[in-house]
Amino acid sequence: MKKIINTPETFVIEMCKGLIKAHPELDFIEKFKVVKKKEINTNKVSLISGGGSGHEPAHAGFVGKGMLDAAVCGDIFASPSIKQVYTAITKTESKKGTLLIIKNYSGDCMNFNEAAALAREDDIDVDAVYVNDDIAVKDSLYTVGRRGVAGTVFVHKIAGAAAEEGRSLAEVKAVANKTIQNVRSIGFALTSCTVPAKGTPTFELGADEMEYGVGIHGEPGRQRMPVAKADDLAAAMVSQIDEDMSIAGAEVAVMINGFGGSPLQELYLFNNSVSAEIENKGAKIYKTLVGNFMTSIDMAGASVTVLKLDSELKALLDAEVNTPALKN
Amino acid sequence: MNKITTKDMTVIINTMADIIIENEVPFCELDSAAGDGDFGMSLAKGFKQLKKEWDELDFDDIGAFLKSCSMVIMEHCGGASGPIWGSAFRAAAKAAGNVEEIGLAELAEIMQAAVVGIQKTGERSFGRGAVVGDKTLIDALVPAADSLSASADAGEELLSAMQKAAAAAVAGAESTKLIAAKMGRAGTVGDRSIGYPDAGAFGLGVIFTGIVNSLS
Repeated sequence: MKKIINTPETFVIEMCKGLIKAHPELDFIEKFKVVKKKEINTNKVSLISGGGSGHEPAHAGFVGKGMLDAAVCGDIFASPSIKQVYTAITKTESKKGTLLIIKNYSGDCMNFNEAAALAREDDIDVDAVYVNDDIAVKDSLYTVGRRGVAGTVFVHKIAGAAAEEGRSLAEVKAVANKTIQNVRSIGFALTSCTVPAKGTPTFELGADEMEYGVGIHGEPGRQRMPVAKADDLAAAMVSQIDEDMSIAGAEVAVMINGFGGSPLQELYLFNNSVSAEIENKGAKIYKTLVGNFMTSIDMAGASVTVLKLDSELKALLDAEVNTPALKN
Repeated sequence: MNKITTKDMTVIINTMADIIIENEVPFCELDSAAGDGDFGMSLAKGFKQLKKEWDELDFDDIGAFLKSCSMVIMEHCGGASGPIWGSAFRAAAKAAGNVEEIGLAELAEIMQAAVVGIQKTGERSFGRGAVVGDKTLIDALVPAADSLSASADAGEELLSAMQKAAAAAVAGAESTKLIAAKMGRAGTVGDRSIGYPDAGAFGLGVIFTGIVNSLS
């Protein structure tokens, strides 16, 4: 696999440095791989997210006005360490406290929670929400729950807008959780991703096969199946989202998220299919985002995210945002 | 051999680091079957750093040595491996205490403490720690620790007890092939993890076997 690269070891640091050079309003703490706003507003709740790298622009691309205050960058597909997260918390400390937005993976949960425990010892008010929007894998009492995927971007946007309004930590957490309760995603892969250190695809797919319900690290999903047409995929995906969270009569925000290896022309085409299916289900589309927001390095494929809205979520979704990867 | 000195412990941990570094790619491949493929890399990263910082570790006694290892491992192993392996070493260090020599009974206690250390870390994040049958590295670590405890009670030789413990870890890892994950790396894919061993459990089997072989 050919990549634009120097060495796998320096990959994440060089990527973050390049991001900062393009966006001088951001700072990069190289030792701890934390991308943060240069100016921290200590009168609003600080929002921190992060996780393994490989999902660009998530999460560093969402640092800026109206979204995150800091993103902690782990190695490719590996959670950042306790000390990295702790550094992000202390370097963005605000009088109003800190909310961690964690994608629901064991590594992320452990490192972010242990870091939060350390920060609380320093009297920093830290709380956390866990995004678990992926409906591909059935949750049960016995599993660790669903995975957090592209719906996380909506959580960043809405919690970010609520924090900018000056809401309290409890209020920002509540609206973040409301978003989490109303957001669902499902994705498919046409190819595997290739992790730089490994250099070969994580999984093998035949020329006429796809992985349905795939995760954003190349983890398996629901099933391996023959490649389907866009309209058929859209129908299946929207139906499954609707079965999990009825959207009839609702106003919704939709995200067609590319995994990094599918061109925009395919994502727009897919949006044409998906939006028709959503309207068929009796939902009204309030806002649509199409692009690469939560990628899986170079995986071809896409996910559909649907967020059910009320007037509060609509206002927060429309609020001012200015980050490298999302602006209005 | 019926005692492990501080020096012996440093040799054991150094061997462990070498085994982990050698197996970086195979461990990643195991993890890609049902996990996210980072296990080998994350673990090796921490143990490579351990070797790099080796001269700065604390060699005063067994507890101090294991604790200084825990600090490097917690910080430099990526993913969930940092908190898990870091807390195992930290708990082991505390159980060992400031002694320069341990026997089989103490080794068994140290391993049991490592189990509890990992479970407590899990409890803080997930409300419960992993137990045998969840398809995590606990499935290999608990049988190994229990085997050491049983051997200690039976008054067995240290080295043969360690051989039995390594075999128990391998058998425990093997048994994870048959079950669906309830926690850990494959906890989100449940039934689709059946047929593949847990990478953490399998890794421990390989590591313990390698350590025992190097001592034999």
